[in-house]
Amino acid sequence: MKKREMFYAEKHPLYLKLLRIMKLTVALIIFACLQVSAKTYSQDRITLNLQSTEIKKVLAAIEKKSNYRFLYNDALLAGKPKVDVNVTNEEITNVLDDLFVNSGIGYKVLEHNLVVLKASNNNLPIVVIDKIVTGRVTDAAGQPLSGVSVTIKGSQVGVSTDASGNFSITVPDDNARLVFSYVGFDPQETLVGSNSTVNITLQPSSKAMDQVIVVGYGTQRKIDVTGSVGTVRGEEISKQASVNPISALQGKVAGVQITNSGAPGSSPQIRIRGLGTVYGNANPLYIVDGVWLDDIAFLNPADIENVSILKDASSESIYGIRAANGVVLITTKKGRSGQTIVNYNGYAGWQTVTNQIEMANANEFATLVNELSVANGGSQILNPADFSEGTDWYHHILRSAFITNHQVSVSGGTDRSTYNFSLGYLNQDGLVEGNNFKRYTARLQNDFQVAKPLKLGYSIIGAFTKSEDVPGGFWHQLYAAAPVVPVYYADGTYGDPSDYNLGDGANFNPQVTLDFYNQESKNYRLTGSVFGDLKFAKYFTLHSSVGGEYSDAEVRNYNPVYAATLKQRNTTSVLTLTKGNVKNWIIENTLTYDRRFGDHSVKVLAGQSAQSNQFYESVASAPNVPNNSEGDLYLRLGSTAGRNVTDKGTLATYTSYFGRINYSFKNRYLINASLRADGSSKFTGDERWGNFPSIGVGWVISDESFMENQKLFNNLKFRGSWGRIGNASVPSNISVLRVAQDPYLTAVFGGNLATGASINSVVPPTTFWEKGEGTDIGLEATILGNKMFIEVDYYKKKTIDAIFDIPILSSVGTSSGTIIGNQATFQNQGWEFTATWRDKINQMVSYSISANFSTNDNKVLEVTTGSNPIYGGGAAATGGQLATRTIVGQPIGQFYGYQVIGVFQTTAEVASYVQPNAKPGDFKFADLSGAAGKPDGKIDGNDRIALGNPNPKYYYGLNTNWAYKQFDLTLDFQGVAGVEVYNANLGLRFGNENWTKDFFDNRWHGQGTSNSYPSANIGGGDNYRPNSFYVEDGSYFRVRNLQLGYTLPTAMTNRWYMKKLRVYANAQNAFNFFSYRGFTPEIGGTPINAGIDANVYPIFATYNFGVNVTF
Amino acid sequence: MSLSKITVMKSNNNKNKLMKLIGCGLLVSLFIPVGCKKSFLEVPPQGEQPAVQFWQTADDATKAVNAMYGNLREWKQVAFAPIAIESLGSDDTEKGSSASDATFLNNFDNFTASATEGQLLDFWTGQYQEVNFANQVLDNVPGINMDANLKARYLAEAKFLRAYANFRLVRAFGDVPLRLHVPKDASEYNIPRTPKAEVYTAIEQDLNDAAAGLPQTYGPADIGRVTKGAALALHAKVAMYQSKWQDVLSLTNQVMGLGYTLFPNYEQLFRVANENNSESIFEIQAKYVPGNCNVSNSQYSQVQGVRGSVGGGWGFNVPTADLVGEYETGDPRMDATIIFRGETTPEGDAIPAVGDNPRYNQKSYVPFSTYVECSEGSEQNVRVIRYADVLLMNAEAANELGMTAQALASLELVRARARAGNNAILPKVTTTDKAQLRTAIWHERRVELAMEFDRFFDLVRQGRAATVLASKGFKAGKNEVWPIPQNEIDLSAGVLTQNPGY
Repeated sequence: MKKREMFYAEKHPLYLKLLRIMKLTVALIIFACLQVSAKTYSQDRITLNLQSTEIKKVLAAIEKKSNYRFLYNDALLAGKPKVDVNVTNEEITNVLDDLFVNSGIGYKVLEHNLVVLKASNNNLPIVVIDKIVTGRVTDAAGQPLSGVSVTIKGSQVGVSTDASGNFSITVPDDNARLVFSYVGFDPQETLVGSNSTVNITLQPSSKAMDQVIVVGYGTQRKIDVTGSVGTVRGEEISKQASVNPISALQGKVAGVQITNSGAPGSSPQIRIRGLGTVYGNANPLYIVDGVWLDDIAFLNPADIENVSILKDASSESIYGIRAANGVVLITTKKGRSGQTIVNYNGYAGWQTVTNQIEMANANEFATLVNELSVANGGSQILNPADFSEGTDWYHHILRSAFITNHQVSVSGGTDRSTYNFSLGYLNQDGLVEGNNFKRYTARLQNDFQVAKPLKLGYSIIGAFTKSEDVPGGFWHQLYAAAPVVPVYYADGTYGDPSDYNLGDGANFNPQVTLDFYNQESKNYRLTGSVFGDLKFAKYFTLHSSVGGEYSDAEVRNYNPVYAATLKQRNTTSVLTLTKGNVKNWIIENTLTYDRRFGDHSVKVLAGQSAQSNQFYESVASAPNVPNNSEGDLYLRLGSTAGRNVTDKGTLATYTSYFGRINYSFKNRYLINASLRADGSSKFTGDERWGNFPSIGVGWVISDESFMENQKLFNNLKFRGSWGRIGNASVPSNISVLRVAQDPYLTAVFGGNLATGASINSVVPPTTFWEKGEGTDIGLEATILGNKMFIEVDYYKKKTIDAIFDIPILSSVGTSSGTIIGNQATFQNQGWEFTATWRDKINQMVSYSISANFSTNDNKVLEVTTGSNPIYGGGAAATGGQLATRTIVGQPIGQFYGYQVIGVFQTTAEVASYVQPNAKPGDFKFADLSGAAGKPDGKIDGNDRIALGNPNPKYYYGLNTNWAYKQFDLTLDFQGVAGVEVYNANLGLRFGNENWTKDFFDNRWHGQGTSNSYPSANIGGGDNYRPNSFYVEDGSYFRVRNLQLGYTLPTAMTNRWYMKKLRVYANAQNAFNFFSYRGFTPEIGGTPINAGIDANVYPIFATYNFGVNVTF
Repeated sequence: MSLSKITVMKSNNNKNKLMKLIGCGLLVSLFIPVGCKKSFLEVPPQGEQPAVQFWQTADDATKAVNAMYGNLREWKQVAFAPIAIESLGSDDTEKGSSASDATFLNNFDNFTASATEGQLLDFWTGQYQEVNFANQVLDNVPGINMDANLKARYLAEAKFLRAYANFRLVRAFGDVPLRLHVPKDASEYNIPRTPKAEVYTAIEQDLNDAAAGLPQTYGPADIGRVTKGAALALHAKVAMYQSKWQDVLSLTNQVMGLGYTLFPNYEQLFRVANENNSESIFEIQAKYVPGNCNVSNSQYSQVQGVRGSVGGGWGFNVPTADLVGEYETGDPRMDATIIFRGETTPEGDAIPAVGDNPRYNQKSYVPFSTYVECSEGSEQNVRVIRYADVLLMNAEAANELGMTAQALASLELVRARARAGNNAILPKVTTTDKAQLRTAIWHERRVELAMEFDRFFDLVRQGRAATVLASKGFKAGKNEVWPIPQNEIDLSAGVLTQNPGY
């Protein structure tokens, strides 16, 4: 490469004004064009005609007309005289020679036509060292960052890092400063000095608005998003003790309400902006690396790079038919080029029940049993004097359960390919003996840059889970077990409730239930996707991916022959094998056109997708299978007679077409519009296709000139959106009438079975999409020097033509008594507030505090049948009365029943009231209405009223992180308010179930003893009917996470060849505050059966210690 | 492809096709686009037969007929609902079980049940489900190309079962919506109550048709299907509820000519081993199939079984002291009908001397030793009509018509069997006084058919419920029928009316 080096003496003084440095952004754009042609500098020629012009302006004119760029200090040109330039098709270097002759300025042309100007007063060549600096840019985790722009400060010259994060740049001298900038990270500046190698670690952007977030089919800077998207980084998920990634989101994102379940391996319930459907799955659509899933319990939280939750209809609608309950986008971790990084993270600890309910002891129980018997006209059954404490069943059965989790990952790569491989192992014991959950996960990700424009990659997740299950109904059994019955008698046999003449209700010994229950569930799953990205014609990217999910679920239940107590026995063993199989695939092709020109930025996406979801399950059983070893558990070893097999399956296919346009003008006015058309096999004829449009607009107010002088806002954005979404979580072809061939229709003739089949349902003439329609108005701001980020949203979301069953006349004679169809319109509306504060007190102490608060108002707007309610909540009641009602104007599944106004004290009081069947000690119900709509002097179904709402009105989280020197502390709080739960355990009685200590202490047992708690006969008379006594405040507040970590000093860990070593202690759910009388007010349940506490696996606290090592 | 193209193409099938073409054509991609074939979205129902494919063959007809029988074992047909509606109102039974279990059943025992009681709806629903299965057969089987004789018999079976369900409905509720066809569409869902008399007319029509189309007997493989005798006997009972004594007499006379005989041992009559015996006219067939609880689903025995004993049951619907008092001294039928606390049954089961109830129903009893999974006693058939009932109807009708000799003869047949050769007990009734004989027949009916779910309706029919059941809270003009389920009235938006007094 030939270089011209010249030196000119100052010829005449020129007085020049200071030059302003051009903005970096513009430089970058031009730089991109430069890269192509700047390999060598040519004999570029220029024509200029300028009179009495400042040098700076001359240089600017040259820059404008050529690809020459100038690097100088503004002070250099200060005071230089103006010049005349009049050249025609002259070589630029000649022009420069003339320009600087005797000016006291020397210049040198470097690579890329970069011209360095320096003071020079002796007409000698300027000393330009023309130094090459190389280095590598990584993120905080040591992962290389590619595409980082590296520029010389004060110039528009720069390069970008390659796939391994490496760069090489020529700088004029040691005083040059390099500026590193990358979307989503804070820019960094460094002085080159005498170094020839500069390695830089970029920190994620503390400016919330600059962060890049994942949205449907792409990414966007937060500032450009016009919908409402909540994001959580993988780090925040993986550092919690939650074994389910969704569970870890609790309290993290406004508008996202998560109800955890304690059962190991179970998935929490997630509601995004309220409950929007009553039929089928109300959980959101999960998309993991492009694969659409219904549940992600199998996913190892440590494999997650980040989670985006699409909350408003406009963000969701690009997922059309599956988006009605929200979309959760999960990106798993990818390898980055550079050196291999090995990471180990492991913890072990224990889980223990908090807020344990205190039950009546044996003495109190005996008293209550007698009171119950007497109340029902019986005699004393037990002599309380014979009993003292008795068996505390909770104490005996519940245990501190062990948990341990280990994860190893290896990642790295070269310029051409990257990889990330991880293995995970979780072993979680349940709260009772025998209950255990194990999860093994393996993940492999590879990306290949096959050619410059073509990238291929894949990501595969394999998971195997195995659980030893808890017997059904066990939690209520534990609650109900009689404390007078010992676990074992002195001779080692089981304590038998029938020896105490306790009758039904408490006729079991929970230890027996546990000991003879034998059910193992296994799940094998393979999920993954393969993709290709082809860039062409400068602005286009074609992305194709094929993804799928294959899983096998096996449940093996063996009911042995045993005789433990009078009622707990089995005379014929039965082996039941359930096999489920899922085969899903998805193919997606998208074409993106991404271009900026001038003030315009346009991104257009067009796509096509096809999916197929298939499920098959068979259940087979055989009696009298021996069980001497695992090898015996085959159906073929059982009796031939009595073998039973059944199966079922579903298959649904979808094809979809979608498009989206994102346009912004001056980065200030934003508009995003999308349309998706989905066709599904679930619907027929004209109703098969649905169209889902959306539009969002944004206005970055802070970029307006009138905002220039204010100091408060660093960024201020207003946005609004509207969109339509669909819900396909319904059975296929619901308007097709089917033949029922159910076992109960089997006839018996001559002692032999004869298959029966007929029609026992009715269907609507047609059904169509369940449509969602939502609007969202939001404001986002960063203030106080980008330290605080605020986001406020108001949303309104309607589910129109929601599909569910509504009751029809029983005299039609269907088996369900209902007809399914597009029946109702629901609405959720509310506010979301998020505020995050991030600061450093000094070099040693930094912290962040993030608070979110959401409100949601759930309401039924319309039911096609008018005011007919939909009843639910059967678990709360015996005898056919249901505890929830869904009716126009009220929330979905609200509790419904009688209003208790006291407890009858005397027979005289009963006689003077309108409840003729009542006895003293029974609930006194208010006579609120009647057949004619007004009090009618009798208590009947018309007197029932709304008693509470299982859908939380308010939920909130407060998440804080603190760092001091080598220590880090996480403190997260979370809670819900404005919600009720139904304490069904209290009234769900068939006989002598145990009562709580609270009940014993407060019960009515004679005139004047209580006017709020009934007698021991709480399950009898009309007391069990759903009423206000059972509905309690379900609000709670808890310390969700408390984690203290210590990172060993690098000096020490380096000696052990470690990059990082951190140890930590963690407590999850350790402190819970609520007034509810059960274990936990976090209940969950299907839409019209939610919030009913009858047999709920208790939530527990987890304490563990962990270590995190990076090599 | 630009977005504007997409926007144009919506909500129109042709345009969607066009869009598909564009979508498929676009994709010169790394992978072959799938989902462009027209058939991709055509997925047949999985594992479920669409109704349009049914009703094609004789086999379909057979299955649909079988379904009517299978449904008779269902919970709503044999368990709590009939106990509440058809048994507890009588002076023979009371709730039983433990005092605090299922207390809502007391509301039927003491006539305080309001329209919202779940059992009312269960009973109502159960019967209408049976009506629906029968209507499915009656509406659809005629169009099937199959053996004409078999088709005629199937239709006759359906008519019997529809009549049986409608009879249970009209007896319990009075006027009820009469459904003689499967509703074509939503416009036929909501129909008003048909006057009781018209419902009876329809039942009688069905039973006439049934009797004409049913065989007198079946081969061994078809035991359990309804017969001509069953149709005549049920018809006699239906006529009796309308006091059509001439019809009762002639129908029972016809049955008496069909060769039924009383089973010699009254106690053994109700055991599993003696199901479908010479006295049996119609039984709901049940069977315990090991490992198949969905088919072994009759809970008739279980809900009434001895509480607190393995192989027993839940102990509901227990005999009253009043029933005990009704038996003549030495009548062996008392011990055959009632399991007393502390006794040892003829099958050798020792009943605990302490327990929730002093008495249990022995007619639904299945020996503990045959304890099976699913539900205890799920193999026990439910005796719906037996020959003794026909004889007593014959006696009652004959007496009402002044044919005393025939009345006495029929009555004596029943008493003689009960006597089982022991002439020291149950002396022959000889009175020729119509009123005295009526009382004797009524008494005989009570003890012979005790715990067989007819007593309450007998008392109503005989016009003495208000007297006999006064102490239980029965109010004349109200409690002759149960309230129409409130849910049903609510759903009918006023089309259905409530019975007086509720």
